Amino acid sequence: MKPITEAANRLDFEDKITGAARYCADIRMEGMLFAKTLRATVARAWIRAIHIPPLPSGMAVIDWRDIPGKNAVPIVTDDQPFLAENCVNYVGEPILLAVGPDRAETASFIRQIVVEYEERKPILTLEEAMGRDGDFISGNQPWFASYGYDKGDLEGAMRRAARCVADTFTTGYQEQAYLEPQGMVASFEDGVITVRGSMQCPYYIVDALKNALGWETDRIRVIQLPTGGGFGGKEEYPSIPAVHAALAAIKTGKPVQLVFDRKEDILCTTKRHPSQITIKSYLDAEGNILARDIDVAADGGAYAGLSSVVLQRMIYSIGGVYRVENLRIHGRVYATNKAVSGAFRGFGGPQAFFAMETHMEHIARQTGMDSVQLRQRHFLRQEDSTSTGGHLRSPVPLHEMTDLALRLSDYYRKREQPNTDSGKLRGIGCSVFFHGCGFTGSGEQDLIRPRVRLRKDVDGIVHVLASSAEIGQGAMTTLSKIVARTLSIPLSQVRYEYPDTKVCPDSGPTVASRSVLVVGKLLLQAGLEMKKRWSEKAFETEARFTYPKGFSWDKENHQGDAYLEYSWGANVVEVELDPVTCDYKIKGVWAVYDAGTPIDKKIVAGQVEGGMAQGLGYGGMENLEYADGKPVQVSFTDYILPTSLDLPPVTFRLVDNESVLGPYGARGLGELTLVGAAPALAAAIENATGRPVNRLPLTPEYLLEVMNGG
Amino acid sequence: MAVAVYPRNLAEALRILEIQSPLVLAGGTDLMVKRAGTYPDECPVMYIGNLPELRQISRQGEELRVGAACTFTELLASPLLPDYLRVPLAQIASPAIRNAATIGGNLCNASPAADALPMLYALDAHFILVSAAGECRMPVRDFFLGPGKTMLAAGQLLAEIRIPIREGWRCIYRKVGMRRANSLSKLSFYALSDCAGGRLQDIRIAFGAVAPTVVRSREAEMKILSGLPVEEIILMYNGLIKPIDDARSSSRYRREACIRLLKQYLQS
Amino acid sequence: MGEKISFVLNGANVSLETEPMRRLLDVLREDFGLTGSKEGCGEGECGACAVLVDGRLINSCLMPVLAVQGKRVVTIEGFRETARFHALSGSFDRAGAVQCGFCTPGMLLAAEALLTDNPDPTEEDIRGALSGNLCRCTGYTAIVEAIRNAAREGEGLWP
Repeated sequence: MKPITEAANRLDFEDKITGAARYCADIRMEGMLFAKTLRATVARAWIRAIHIPPLPSGMAVIDWRDIPGKNAVPIVTDDQPFLAENCVNYVGEPILLAVGPDRAETASFIRQIVVEYEERKPILTLEEAMGRDGDFISGNQPWFASYGYDKGDLEGAMRRAARCVADTFTTGYQEQAYLEPQGMVASFEDGVITVRGSMQCPYYIVDALKNALGWETDRIRVIQLPTGGGFGGKEEYPSIPAVHAALAAIKTGKPVQLVFDRKEDILCTTKRHPSQITIKSYLDAEGNILARDIDVAADGGAYAGLSSVVLQRMIYSIGGVYRVENLRIHGRVYATNKAVSGAFRGFGGPQAFFAMETHMEHIARQTGMDSVQLRQRHFLRQEDSTSTGGHLRSPVPLHEMTDLALRLSDYYRKREQPNTDSGKLRGIGCSVFFHGCGFTGSGEQDLIRPRVRLRKDVDGIVHVLASSAEIGQGAMTTLSKIVARTLSIPLSQVRYEYPDTKVCPDSGPTVASRSVLVVGKLLLQAGLEMKKRWSEKAFETEARFTYPKGFSWDKENHQGDAYLEYSWGANVVEVELDPVTCDYKIKGVWAVYDAGTPIDKKIVAGQVEGGMAQGLGYGGMENLEYADGKPVQVSFTDYILPTSLDLPPVTFRLVDNESVLGPYGARGLGELTLVGAAPALAAAIENATGRPVNRLPLTPEYLLEVMNGG
Repeated sequence: MAVAVYPRNLAEALRILEIQSPLVLAGGTDLMVKRAGTYPDECPVMYIGNLPELRQISRQGEELRVGAACTFTELLASPLLPDYLRVPLAQIASPAIRNAATIGGNLCNASPAADALPMLYALDAHFILVSAAGECRMPVRDFFLGPGKTMLAAGQLLAEIRIPIREGWRCIYRKVGMRRANSLSKLSFYALSDCAGGRLQDIRIAFGAVAPTVVRSREAEMKILSGLPVEEIILMYNGLIKPIDDARSSSRYRREACIRLLKQYLQS
Repeated sequence: MGEKISFVLNGANVSLETEPMRRLLDVLREDFGLTGSKEGCGEGECGACAVLVDGRLINSCLMPVLAVQGKRVVTIEGFRETARFHALSGSFDRAGAVQCGFCTPGMLLAAEALLTDNPDPTEEDIRGALSGNLCRCTGYTAIVEAIRNAAREGEGLWP
């Protein structure tokens, strides 16, 4: 048998290459109506009146009064309504829907509705939120969540320190920009509501429908359709359009399709949290880092959403890959009157590693050290304790990985060689980072307790029953390979359909680099059980997650194993910068990852190249700003994604370091590939310009200020 | 339902234009974005993308004549196109847009960021405007009044762009976009020099996307030729450049990048 | 009034009476059920809606249907019946050039337009030809490799 790593044919390939795959907008059903959403045009206001013109025949309007259950999106905190009742808190917040048989007419009807607002003073920036002392958006304070933890003795270490290096970093929004906008189709038949659409987490939508409708699970069915990318943007957000489409289908008795256009999608869906991070490092006379005092602030937008969980990952990642015994880490995520910040590949990690890695560059710069050597001196090792006091059980191959990345890129020669003759400035920089795989802490156990099933039919075909969504990342193929390998059967004997909650158990959301590590492991377990009983004709096996022995997590005090597994990475980026316009070109990208044994090397390569592209976009050109409570860049003309001409190929290597927990030695990879790109880019630009940077994205506009000494 | 009108030749198009006042459409790449989601009412739509008279590229003496309905792809494929025209045009948008978008449409849309404009200003191109009543020749600088505003009158079509051809012209073009391809310009810099006989005979400088229309000053160019110090030249242009803040860049960046590009050019 | 717009769609003559300013994309998807052309942005920025019109790559979201009068339109549904498609499909599979699939039909037609013009493209040519087709999943590397391999292996297909 070939090693599992050998590339397989993707199970979803044929459907997609021929254009036959039917995404949400491609669905047509008998009598189907089209829905359009009326959205708030002001950032914060009381709704005083809504003037709706007489309804043309065949059209209907759905507002909050059509919600039979709770008008609250169930995530962590139930603070966000599905449809606004008497107030709005961000531009783009949904107020009501119109449905009708003609899409253009429905849209034109929505444009005729007039909402009377009584505007309130909005909170539009993180700074405003931090300085606010009343009239809060949420509860009695300006933040949604506030966490802190310590390690060692910060005060004592500060007294011993010879110097302190301090930095404040800010990062901007990033839009997931999946190529397929959000979309849902709902139909209501025989008392059952069925919602199909573009999604990462079918069971989040089941929960949302249960909440909104007050119905039991047996009347709710959610089916994923081929999904044109997610990147976290289709984690929690789709619950809202799913409920909207369902309400409309129930009210009209007809199938209802709700598909966003790009502008609407950018205006109202979740984005990566902007952040402001201050790091103070205390060093002894030899340049050893004794202690750090870190403060994280994130902009959560109008409702809490997943912000508290994102903040947790930020504060558990902000220590970086370094062994520093004395820490004080504090973080808050604030409420502002803007679109809700939410899940996005990396989930708080990209902000944290940009700040920490750039800070390490600045320490080296200020103390006259080599920044790589400074890192190496402090690298975490196996058996070390993490910032939360967790135990690093497996080998931590940071030295080997960093050396390899530097060698591949010819880092030292390029780093020291000054500018080229062409008048352009060349620079090279590196980053070293990790990604904690799976849910934070004991979340797998406490929040979902994922399950999977395998079903063998009489014809010997094995069906994978799991709620992991294929969103382009290759989950369908990767998870099927695990099953085929476990059962020693060809991949062609395994079937993996888009998840349907009627038949698939809740194996948790498709997020957090958990699909292979957690769901894959459960499939392996169910497979082993099936293998034992293989002689039986038709049967099912099931596996359920159990928290591994020896791990512990104290959620209240942020102590213990923050993650089940860690994946590691080292990136190098080389740039060429035009000192006249401060425009730059990425000349080379090198990457080394430890994600355990790759289940499919072709799919892994796709994650590496794609994650790097998204991470470089985050670091460089992807600029999304708000002005007067509205996003300024609301189209693909203004919100710029990298094209084929903006990115060089990535030279990458995987180190051999099998995971003990994961199936066939694999651990999470999807997010890791994004996390290190922006800090390596920043380090390269600092090397090229000779000046420190402290902000993302690194636009030419910002770099011109930097070059001018601003 | 609106009516689609397909004139067979220019004369017919002009008659229809006079009588029916249709919406005029060539490539549609700008118009379709502007009209997104809205259909015209009863207004007829006249498609001029196929008009043979508007699709010619020819050279008459020292002049290149480009039909307004030529797409950028067709222009780029023409062996008649000198490099100082090819370089800016090759950086416009993406292949699919260049296949549909026409030069005439790009000009009549009159975006301050239109990438074909700085070179036409620098080259003192002329436009041929035609109507049922006849044709007139208008210098490019007189045609543009501001963003989206031109001298094109009702009943008139932009038929042809006439561009002087000179041997020995050399261009420097810098489009500063948001990425390497398929980007609107934050600003653009186009400079032509004629160094026949090894000395500078003439110089033309134009900036795009940093004022309501293209920035070009013959006065400043004459001063450059007369050897005025670089600092004073820069002061002159600094007064002419009037950039704005928008979704794509800041006025501060646009101004400073223009000045830096100019300075680099003048010093080289 | 009542004048039909006629064109050749995937090899067949078609004609329809419709609003002349409707987007070709909507006509293809709604009137002909050809949903392989996708709407990613509606502004000609992403190329997910790209089709071939008289052999040239066109963003169908920016082309009003009246402009295809008398022209040949090829969508993925037509292209997938060709030998060239099969060559590209094989190389896309081997290179891992498909992830979420939303950009894929447009990418294939961009590849076809390129290889028709230039059967032996350099990497830079390929990257240039794809520069109006956004992909958010792959970072383009696998797509570029797939097209290079198709050009190399598909001898005689793109003369």
